[in-house]
Amino acid sequence: MLNQSPKLSKTNSDDVFIASNLCWNVGKSSILKNLNFEIKRNKITGVIGPNGAGKSSLLRCLFGKNKISSGSLTFNHKDIDDHSRKELAQNIAVVLQEPPTQFDMDVFELVSLGLIPNLRLLSFPTTQDKQRVILALADVELTDKQHCSFNTLSGGEKQRVMLARAIVQETKILILDEPTNHLDIQHQIDILHLIKNLNITIILSIHDLNIASIFCDELILMDEGKIISQGVCADVLTQDNLKNVFKVHAEIELDSSGQQQKITFDLSKIASKHDSKPETKPHASDVF
Amino acid sequence: MTLSLKQNPTLVMFFDMNSLFSPSNRFSLILIASIVFLLFSFIYATGRGNVAISFQDVFDSIFVCGGLDSALVSGTISDCGVKLVYQKIVWEIRIPRILMAFLTGAGLSIVGAILQSVTRNPLADPYLFGISSGASLGAVLVISSFSGAVIAGTAISITFGALAGGVFSVVLMLFLAGNASMQVDKLLLSGVAVSFMLGAFTSLVVYYSDPDTASSLLFWIMGSFSNSSWSQLPLPAFTLVFCLAIFLIYQKWISAIQAGDEGALTLGVPVSRLRLMMLVLSSILTAVLVSQVGGIGFVGLMIPHICRFIVGNQLYKVLLMCVLVGGSFMVWVDVFARAILNEQVLPIGIVTSAIGSLFFFIILKTK
Repeated sequence: MLNQSPKLSKTNSDDVFIASNLCWNVGKSSILKNLNFEIKRNKITGVIGPNGAGKSSLLRCLFGKNKISSGSLTFNHKDIDDHSRKELAQNIAVVLQEPPTQFDMDVFELVSLGLIPNLRLLSFPTTQDKQRVILALADVELTDKQHCSFNTLSGGEKQRVMLARAIVQETKILILDEPTNHLDIQHQIDILHLIKNLNITIILSIHDLNIASIFCDELILMDEGKIISQGVCADVLTQDNLKNVFKVHAEIELDSSGQQQKITFDLSKIASKHDSKPETKPHASDVF
Repeated sequence: MTLSLKQNPTLVMFFDMNSLFSPSNRFSLILIASIVFLLFSFIYATGRGNVAISFQDVFDSIFVCGGLDSALVSGTISDCGVKLVYQKIVWEIRIPRILMAFLTGAGLSIVGAILQSVTRNPLADPYLFGISSGASLGAVLVISSFSGAVIAGTAISITFGALAGGVFSVVLMLFLAGNASMQVDKLLLSGVAVSFMLGAFTSLVVYYSDPDTASSLLFWIMGSFSNSSWSQLPLPAFTLVFCLAIFLIYQKWISAIQAGDEGALTLGVPVSRLRLMMLVLSSILTAVLVSQVGGIGFVGLMIPHICRFIVGNQLYKVLLMCVLVGGSFMVWVDVFARAILNEQVLPIGIVTSAIGSLFFFIILKTK
């Protein structure tokens, strides 16, 4: 997919997003620096990198929240700013890490907000629309919580509610900002399985590199607002890349099929700290 | 053995009872109960005052005798058997006053509900944004420019002054917030600053007015329905209906903002534009109401919370309930303000502020 050189290779009709020398600044500080990438239709693209690398900022450029400062970003081969807000909402659903709302809403009501892009201002949801909401709630296994208030849910349940809202939007593209945060391992697997089965273009930021390597078709590795590497998982998740970006030593093994990677990290630093604690702490018998 | 609905009439009744109290039916029942209570409040309030009029006479004056025309015929007792003086009191003094109280309560409550939703701040109300202060300053400037004697003749100028002041306060707030007006918390801070600034100017105008004008200004600032007349009703009524219609049309988008700015943006809602539009409409409705009845606090803050407690957070339900509960509340406040002192009317703002502070103390202790 992705090309590291500033000049893009020939554009492909399969590319949903194409960025060329994309920069995004806040005041005088440059957050995203000369990014060049293409995101392919119906593929799962993961954005990885340490905290503060610019992952969320990049995702916010893709749905038009962050207006790019220079360079270009096209969506469906048209400049992203030339799409109306409604047009973007009809094509791109987004799951963010929402802050809790002061005014509580019940779960059904919150998920129903996903109908907005496809509803006229004066129209009311039809029975079919309500059915869509019920099905989305069933997809994220929250049918029994549909009349609960959002603020009483756990972090993981809130995340699933926001995903249900995005599913109700019925878009061809789904952007997710760290969707597996707050989720236990069972729900991480369930949610990622659900997202994968949507068979649409998925772009997500993700921290767990093992899950990223299994789940994503392609990866963008970012650090300090720049793209360090991009391509299929095996090309991006290399020992050198991980050492340069995350400053950790990682062992990367390929499974028997040679397709999926298993990454293990050198945890001796934590272990040594843990081991050294009893030594530094005086024993009770030494004191008394 | 399985139970079939057709075979078991008791079960049918049980299911019917369940559907009777389903969420949508529950709202309908609450709405009907609120309308009935509002009508009762109207009739009760019409009979109360310095001249007590019996329920029968009030009922006959309104529903049997007909409108104002029949009260204007000469004689002491009209064809419908009610003393003409009672009819005149009912039609010329009480009903316009009660309708004005209703419009004020309903209007300030829906403005409070909208401001709280678009800023996601439960403490937002027309006062917090400086809208009321701006409208008060505008009206006070107009009143102090004329002598007290011609105040009644300058009703349109007062309305215009309040309207200009309300819109000016919003413009000033947006100007002071600058680029930060996209962020709700900075917008609120800017609104608080404007509120205090314009409040200070209002006090300054009152301070430098002659004693007669100052006392009428003070009475006006604290709010009163005493001067309400039929001719004053069309403007607030039209503005209320217009703003309520717009709020209801945009209620889905406003609900999305209530759940978060960024989320609303991803649903295609033009967040900043919509918030600005709601602020302007709120300032117009507040300014129109303030120009008619003066400054009345706490209603816009308190009633939306009570309505949310009764019907939940769905915005159209909250707005409709605000009209009914806010309107009824203000009618009762006016009854109280007229009844508590002999032959004297307490300023409405004092009563609402006292009830409002009590309300928040109760919330503080129970929640």
